[in-house]
Amino acid sequence: MTAVAWTRRYGALIRNAWLVDLQYRAAIMLWMIWGVTEPAIALGIWWSIAGTGTVGGYARADFARYFFAIMLVNQLTIAWDSWYLDRWIREGELNFRLARPLHPVHEAIADNLAYKARTASVIGLVWLLLALVWPTVRLPFAPGRWVLAAVAVVLAAAMRFCISFTTGLLAFWTTRATAIMEVHGGVAMFLAGRIAPVSLLPPAVAGAAGVLWFRYMLSFPVDLLTGAASGAGAVGRGFAGQILWLALWAAACRLAWRKGIVKYGAVGG
Amino acid sequence: MPAISAQGLSKSFQVKVRDPGLRGAFAALFRPRYRTVRAVREVSFAIEPGEIVAFLGPNGAGKTTTIKMLTGLLYPSAGRVSVTGYDPWTGGAPFKRRIALILGNRQQLAWDLPPEETFQLNRAIYDIAEGDYKKRRAELVELLSLGTVMDKPVRQLSLGERMKCELCAALLHRPPILFLDEPTLGLDVSAQDAIRRFLTEYRERYGATILLTSHYMQDVTALARRVLIINRGRLLYDGALDALVARIARTKRLELVLGDGVTANALAAFGTVRSFHYPNAVLEVPREAAAATSARLLASLSVADLSIEDPPIEEVIRQAFAEGAENDDAEEEA
Repeated sequence: MTAVAWTRRYGALIRNAWLVDLQYRAAIMLWMIWGVTEPAIALGIWWSIAGTGTVGGYARADFARYFFAIMLVNQLTIAWDSWYLDRWIREGELNFRLARPLHPVHEAIADNLAYKARTASVIGLVWLLLALVWPTVRLPFAPGRWVLAAVAVVLAAAMRFCISFTTGLLAFWTTRATAIMEVHGGVAMFLAGRIAPVSLLPPAVAGAAGVLWFRYMLSFPVDLLTGAASGAGAVGRGFAGQILWLALWAAACRLAWRKGIVKYGAVGG
Repeated sequence: MPAISAQGLSKSFQVKVRDPGLRGAFAALFRPRYRTVRAVREVSFAIEPGEIVAFLGPNGAGKTTTIKMLTGLLYPSAGRVSVTGYDPWTGGAPFKRRIALILGNRQQLAWDLPPEETFQLNRAIYDIAEGDYKKRRAELVELLSLGTVMDKPVRQLSLGERMKCELCAALLHRPPILFLDEPTLGLDVSAQDAIRRFLTEYRERYGATILLTSHYMQDVTALARRVLIINRGRLLYDGALDALVARIARTKRLELVLGDGVTANALAAFGTVRSFHYPNAVLEVPREAAAATSARLLASLSVADLSIEDPPIEEVIRQAFAEGAENDDAEEEA
């Protein structure tokens, strides 16, 4: 396959994903509201706790920038693949995908790109408009850091995709693969920094978040974007953690696919 | 070289079993028990290029499992498969470009979009050149009479229209091997007929090899001269449909239009009266005596019309399934 053919394939897959999305305008709005509500509530709580002072070094303006960044980075890195894969495997929708000369992972990647481009562009635009009238949420001008943050976002998105895809592949063995992802989501809510910056968590919990993959899937790119993570040492350790966990999850994903596909029961016709 | 060949193909599944009720549910939670189901057992056959073969068997016989192994969806527990020279599990994209798989109860069409969008997607996935795509699409749309449905979302199409669109989407890359699992499932008579005519035409134009499963005997008689019969995972018969009828059906049916005064009792002297709705009657006689009995009937009774027929194909197939199951039980007991 040539690069042109692959571009055409991805273009067609992304186009189809957008065409399907456009059929459900209400669903798009609900997902957008969901994506904004959680960080908005967390911001409200920390805003009132901080008052005129600081909490763990975070003033109100820092919390505002942090949760706006969480909103954007979460949409850019979130992956729903475990839910899709669970359905594909349990209900037999994987069958026709396996019969095509295209590994199903490409459809999943294209769906992610389509979703992320759609939701993140809206959230990015809202942030931009808000920043015009509310200087508090403006990020200091630092193109070099933004580039690093962009790289960290790509690595985080790839890692979260691998985690979600691997968990979805557990449907080859269990009918409760999505429940495992729910548990992961619940833990990630705290350890990845969705409810509070990781540095505000108890030291043992923050330590666990840094040793495991959670910090690298959301909190690290957010801290890079807002400037909370700076200095060659901290940034280097962050990227090293991302690369290590991405490699481990990618290996787990590959292993789960190879073992699972042999076990596949091809149910449901 | 055969287009499709299977040698000693077997597939076993582990199925979780539990006793009924709450107690059974709790027991299964702590001590799960499994049973091995042998879905396909040492099945071997070869299909030559251009053949249309019907794969028959009752529900759960192993037809779909076999098709899924032939298309690389399922890994066999044992045995070997070759499809157009490829091993389905290692053939990768080149193998998949040479087959089409249509599952009657599962579709690849995007539910919310017009079928054209799925066609375009397949064009990109199979890397079909623009010119070829236009030509093939136009040809398939014409053959399947799809002109009026191309701009409607798939969810608004009838079952028959959806199946035609599935065929169109699956054949745009013009595969030489077609695996069709219940392609006429749930369709009305005219839609079934349209699908059969299309498949015949496609095979004539492109010399495609077709292996199909169906519970509709009209599909079998209209499309396939050769049948594979499978039950409980074992291949019971591989050969011509006519030969199967000759082997299984030990009787012939004399379909009669009777003249005045002929009663059911009078007919009973010549064979088993299967139905009697004067003036129509159906008499069953031993296969080898059909000609002689017909001659005696015509000489003895008033008969306006007589035709000698094989039993309905459904009955023959049912008998073949039953024979296979009996042999299987006897073998397992032994």
